[in-house]
Amino acid sequence: MTPSAQIALQNAVNGLLIGGTYATVGLGMSLVWGVLNVINIAHGAFVMLGAYTTYWLFTLYGIDPFATLPIAGAALFVLGYGLQRVVVNQVIRASFLITFLLTFGFDLLITNGALAVWTADVRAVTTAYSGRAIHLGPVIVPAVRLMTLGAALLVALLLHLLMSRTRLGTAIRATASDQDAARLMGIPIGHVYAITFGIALATAGIAGGLAGMSFPIYPAMGANFTFIGFVVCVLGGLGSVAGALVGGLLFGLLTTYAAGWLGPNYDYIVAFSALILVLLVRPAGLFGRAARFRG
Amino acid sequence: MPLLAATGVSKFFGRLAAVNQVDVAIEPGEVVGLIGPNGAGKSTLVNVITGVEAPTAGRVEFAGADITGRRPAAIARLGIARTFQIAQPFRNMSVRQNVAVPVLFRAAPAAGVADALHRADEVLDVVGLGPKRDLPARALTTPDLRRLELAKAVALRPRLMLLDEVMAGLTPAETEADMALLRRINEQGITLLVIEHVLRVVMGLCRRVVVLHHGSKIAEGSPQQVTADPAVIAAYLGPRYAAHGGTGPR
Amino acid sequence: MNRREVRGLALAAAALAVALVLPGALNTYYVRIITGTFLFGILASAWNLIGGYTGYPDFGGAAFIGVGAYTTGILMVRAHLPFPAALPAGCVLAAASAVAMGALLLRLRGHYFAIATLGFMLVLRQLTANLEITGGGSGMNLPAAGDFKEFYYWMLAGLVLAVLAGFALPRTRAGYALAAIRENQDAAQVLGIEPLPFKILAYAANAFLFAAAGGIYAYWLTFIDPPTVFNIDFTVQAVVMALFGGQGTVLGPVAGAVILKSLDVTLTNVSLFLHNVFFGALVCALVVFAPRGLAELFQARPGRGRAAALGASIREALQENRV
Repeated sequence: MTPSAQIALQNAVNGLLIGGTYATVGLGMSLVWGVLNVINIAHGAFVMLGAYTTYWLFTLYGIDPFATLPIAGAALFVLGYGLQRVVVNQVIRASFLITFLLTFGFDLLITNGALAVWTADVRAVTTAYSGRAIHLGPVIVPAVRLMTLGAALLVALLLHLLMSRTRLGTAIRATASDQDAARLMGIPIGHVYAITFGIALATAGIAGGLAGMSFPIYPAMGANFTFIGFVVCVLGGLGSVAGALVGGLLFGLLTTYAAGWLGPNYDYIVAFSALILVLLVRPAGLFGRAARFRG
Repeated sequence: MPLLAATGVSKFFGRLAAVNQVDVAIEPGEVVGLIGPNGAGKSTLVNVITGVEAPTAGRVEFAGADITGRRPAAIARLGIARTFQIAQPFRNMSVRQNVAVPVLFRAAPAAGVADALHRADEVLDVVGLGPKRDLPARALTTPDLRRLELAKAVALRPRLMLLDEVMAGLTPAETEADMALLRRINEQGITLLVIEHVLRVVMGLCRRVVVLHHGSKIAEGSPQQVTADPAVIAAYLGPRYAAHGGTGPR
Repeated sequence: MNRREVRGLALAAAALAVALVLPGALNTYYVRIITGTFLFGILASAWNLIGGYTGYPDFGGAAFIGVGAYTTGILMVRAHLPFPAALPAGCVLAAASAVAMGALLLRLRGHYFAIATLGFMLVLRQLTANLEITGGGSGMNLPAAGDFKEFYYWMLAGLVLAVLAGFALPRTRAGYALAAIRENQDAAQVLGIEPLPFKILAYAANAFLFAAAGGIYAYWLTFIDPPTVFNIDFTVQAVVMALFGGQGTVLGPVAGAVILKSLDVTLTNVSLFLHNVFFGALVCALVVFAPRGLAELFQARPGRGRAAALGASIREALQENRV
């Protein structure tokens, strides 16, 4: 295999591996956007909280990072449920600008709170197996990243099963489709919204745990992930797990190749260009429906 | 030469033909009715004519010029005005300001905002909304909102007006008043295409009627001819009524 | 002009007169705070043009702050232009970039427009960090100015310009087009309005003013780097101020700037460490309890005093939108 082909293949593998994490980030955002019609600007901040949860559980109690994921997920589910029921619900029918600002407020609160409590020091999660890698022919597959992708696929599968095979999932989809009709059917909308938000934040927390194993952890890391989440949603289309998955993997590939060609400091430019292209050419994304426009 | 000529116009949404090979020609000064059951494609046809939708096939010519697929704003300035089935006012602007908008953006615009507001007042007086000129549009009742739509269309100084169900839900007295208004507008030289369900309006105003059903034109002629046409009766009331010559089953 | 407008004009004129003489009377600490308030007054008023008045919420305005800041800096440092020449150049460049980006972005609506503009800001931030002429990630230094009062008066001039724009625009033909577009873009189109050029106009005006604020700010700080100027906090604060000061009015955004800046300064004095946290909480509280603007909170209703009205507003907010 020629060197350039080898590099291309390695990039593809790297892109897919990191794409799994991106997909998990996008899942939660897509869920909230598709069901509650709220774009959660603070989504990245919740990812950050998940990363720190994993970090502290690992550092203080020696729990393996992958084992902390369900804990992070559960904790953030509770937080999400509470937040939606108490705060977000107040503005859920308000204009998009209001909900935008509210989630901005959350972001300010959480990011600066984290900064105050944990300082700006950059942390990392390094386990005994962090350096291990599998060699598949000419391609190097880091063990942690492979397991991360596996976890991401598992989360996607679980969410898909939830949405398609359970009564709760049906209730959520019904509410997303037509809120008033769902209410008339006896579906407790407030509860459904809160659960949806909880699930979304749980996936954010898990995504954060996954991210924390591959990326540096610091309070301001959230902003990046919010943007990533958004691009994934736009690329993959709203309202489907498959969409978020494909969007995330695609975005992983895109940024990895771009970093390869242009260097690591051009990832926003690439992401933004992709975003604009998709928005102008195929606003519904690859799989989904376009979000209802309010403006 | 017809003022408006739609030739072979089709509009497909996916596989659904909302409008299917429709030919319509309107002569200058006419009042033509466009009728058909709900979902017949009347509003879609109007959308195609005004550039809101691009047709899948066919051509639209206005005063001899091809306007197929041109942008709505350009078509409006060429002289085609339309009202919407559900009134679309600028809710947070005053009635006066609402009418001033087309005055400012038509082909022969007013000289400035102050001038536009004056001319808006004139139009408002014609449609009878003068006393309400400073109210915000959102405060208007539905009949008044319809009149506002009409005023805005008139203020555009169009040669052709496409009226989408402006008479729905009016009392007989209001209907008479609006019909008289439309007659006056027509006498000023403005050609009208009137989409209506209210038969009285169609019979009273229109000299010629075009009937659409499931996107296709099924009849055309004088109001009397069209309302006696079995195909038209079948479309509205079902085949049983048509079989009995339009007078109901015996 | 009606009586309310005349009153507003008189109030503005009086405020301007006071503002002109303040630096002589106050010590530098307060002058700085007021200059900062002017900065946000410019941003809030400018945002109102595109976000409030036209209905296109721009979340990437900081992109233009950066363009203004860096253009001013580069022209002063490398081309040795004096500040009064460099600043307008930055404004014009920002407006031009707004025209170029707007032609693309203003075709999007709602959520998409907001995030796309945010993306634009992030791109510019990254680009600036990658270029040599801007000093890259290390930032650049600007020449020091003389008296601090210079910045005060420049900001004040910018604020006057922004307020005048907010006053004049709704009264022009373009203003009517924008209002129509905001209210109902489809209806506007069939009345002869081609939306994109007008939206670009509002967006460019917004960019021009943001760049002015940015250029003056850069000169004031004498050191800028990408995260400082391409900072979303500017935009968020501007939006909050415009929203809560009252989007529908000319001086509303300025009032919002004054109130929120005062709150911010107070919070900073309480705890420098936590003031951002408090500010975040404040934004959340404002959004939930006063979504239609601060004025609404205190509007007395028939049969109620203002305090009762405040309580009622809070109670209402808690009960409203219960799903």
